[in-house]
Amino acid sequence: MRSELHKKLSYTILTLPAVLIYASMIVFPVLVSLILSFTKWSGFGTPSFIGLQNYITMFKDPVFLHGLRNNALIILGSLFIQIPFGFLLAYLLYRRLVNHRDFFEAMIFLPVSISAIVVAILWNQIFSPAGLFTSLIRMVLHDPRFVFPIFENKTWAISPVLVVIIWMYTGIYMIIFLANLQKISPSIIEAAIIDGARESQILFHIIAPSMIHVIFTTTIFAISGSLKSFDLIFAMTGGGPAHYTEVIAIYMYYHTFKYYKYGFGSAVSIVIVFLSLGLISMLQYIHAKLEKHYHA
Amino acid sequence: MHEKPDHSPIKTHFVQHKTPTWHVVVAYSILGMFTFLTIAPLIWMSYTSFKPNKQIIQNIFSLPHSLFLDNYIIAWQRGNLGVAMFNSFFYSFLATFITTFLALSTGYGLTKFPYKKFSAFFYSFFIMGLLISVHSILVPLFVMETTLNIDNTRIGILIPYIGFGLPFSIYLAVSYIRDIPKEVEDAARIDGAGYLVTFTRIIIPMSLPVTTTMIIFSFLANWNDFIFVFILISKEALRSLPVSLNAFAGGRSRDLGLLFAALVIATIPIILFYVIFRKHIVRGFAAGSIKG
Repeated sequence: MRSELHKKLSYTILTLPAVLIYASMIVFPVLVSLILSFTKWSGFGTPSFIGLQNYITMFKDPVFLHGLRNNALIILGSLFIQIPFGFLLAYLLYRRLVNHRDFFEAMIFLPVSISAIVVAILWNQIFSPAGLFTSLIRMVLHDPRFVFPIFENKTWAISPVLVVIIWMYTGIYMIIFLANLQKISPSIIEAAIIDGARESQILFHIIAPSMIHVIFTTTIFAISGSLKSFDLIFAMTGGGPAHYTEVIAIYMYYHTFKYYKYGFGSAVSIVIVFLSLGLISMLQYIHAKLEKHYHA
Repeated sequence: MHEKPDHSPIKTHFVQHKTPTWHVVVAYSILGMFTFLTIAPLIWMSYTSFKPNKQIIQNIFSLPHSLFLDNYIIAWQRGNLGVAMFNSFFYSFLATFITTFLALSTGYGLTKFPYKKFSAFFYSFFIMGLLISVHSILVPLFVMETTLNIDNTRIGILIPYIGFGLPFSIYLAVSYIRDIPKEVEDAARIDGAGYLVTFTRIIIPMSLPVTTTMIIFSFLANWNDFIFVFILISKEALRSLPVSLNAFAGGRSRDLGLLFAALVIATIPIILFYVIFRKHIVRGFAAGSIKG
């Protein structure tokens, strides 16, 4: 009996501190957010219950919808630019077509570790009106007065941000593909080569099919990365000019900490949670269907 | 390079067919171009930090005529970067240490005790946290901390760092400790060791490989955090590097030389870290992706 008690006590001592910290930092706040999202509250006094009003206001706000569009563009950028490039780079390294693979890998992956704030400030100096990029174009065009109109344009203002995101995070996708490529048994490829398979056949018939699940994983990365994107854009543009580069996390920040609309800010947070859970469960559903289809 | 040349007749890893030359050329060009585009901005940042402001404005490309070190001295003082760097180290080290220790103990608890239902519940509870982004809890966290009067304190930064570090560290700890053979643990228990002694004497040393990955990953996340310190700290003396840097860049000074020097100062520690621990960082990202 005593030893059973001892066991239970040890179990509690080992696991309880982490459970408590986690519950008080993540689970409890998410629940509080959910409750606050149905209220109007400025941080003082009692929150007053207003039902779904925050959500209705949010989805009617063109600034929010533009932010949502920017989040979607970041996801699309990851899907159609970072994932293909990440795979291409990983594939080139994996097939050992070059020497000094470690050097290439180390350099391309480097920006991932650097603080998003450093990256944002640096790229601001590149894209600023007197910055490196404009100067370079001026030099090439021999036009000292050339300016890039896109940064002030509602549709295109987000594009420099997309460039920086691609610069910073393509290395992650490369690393993920490389790790998963290295799990493919070399003997399968050896057998194909002995049978006279060409490089393109190896790629499309052996490697690509086994990468399907990785594409799903990286898509999950892209979605949660997009919804989390705050630091980089906040330090780069602050969402400006005129909210053109805002994403929903920045929209949430302004409403909460600048306009003191805590209830409304909570509602935006909850939308972020549900978007990420919703999109990711949808993906997992599609993935499961596909797996079933192919293994049936 | 330590690998054998690819055209070696000895089968090392792959049987290679005779790769057409143009494949090699294309591979080199693509990798070379990507590498160039990745590091060119960083190289530009480094050498520009040695130019006085006037020279930067005159010609944004040119190499420095001499090493203008005043940028570094003034940026260090004006940006209060020494304090910020100390704070960054303080938050990152302490939060990483506690997160890793708690993740290991939880990993041991959840995998080696017979309370399967509890453990399965707690595990999925932690894993769910991987999908929750920091921004979803900022409002309640801020309200909680101001109510408890722990905003603007070091402890008020450490607790959320630990809370958000736990899910991934526990994920790594559980998947590793689960595979430690039961016999090893039983042997220690027969020798009369209690569970907590078994944890410190057997489980921790045996988990060393995964612990390294956990420490490095957690440190990197804490070091690069911006939002928690930005929201919860208003005292300048408690700011971390990214927040100080953001304030410095948004300040009144338009001296680009100082700005670039500040950027380099903030980047040097992480570049050193990267050079030493790159393999572990890579492993952490790879482990995150294989979970599916």
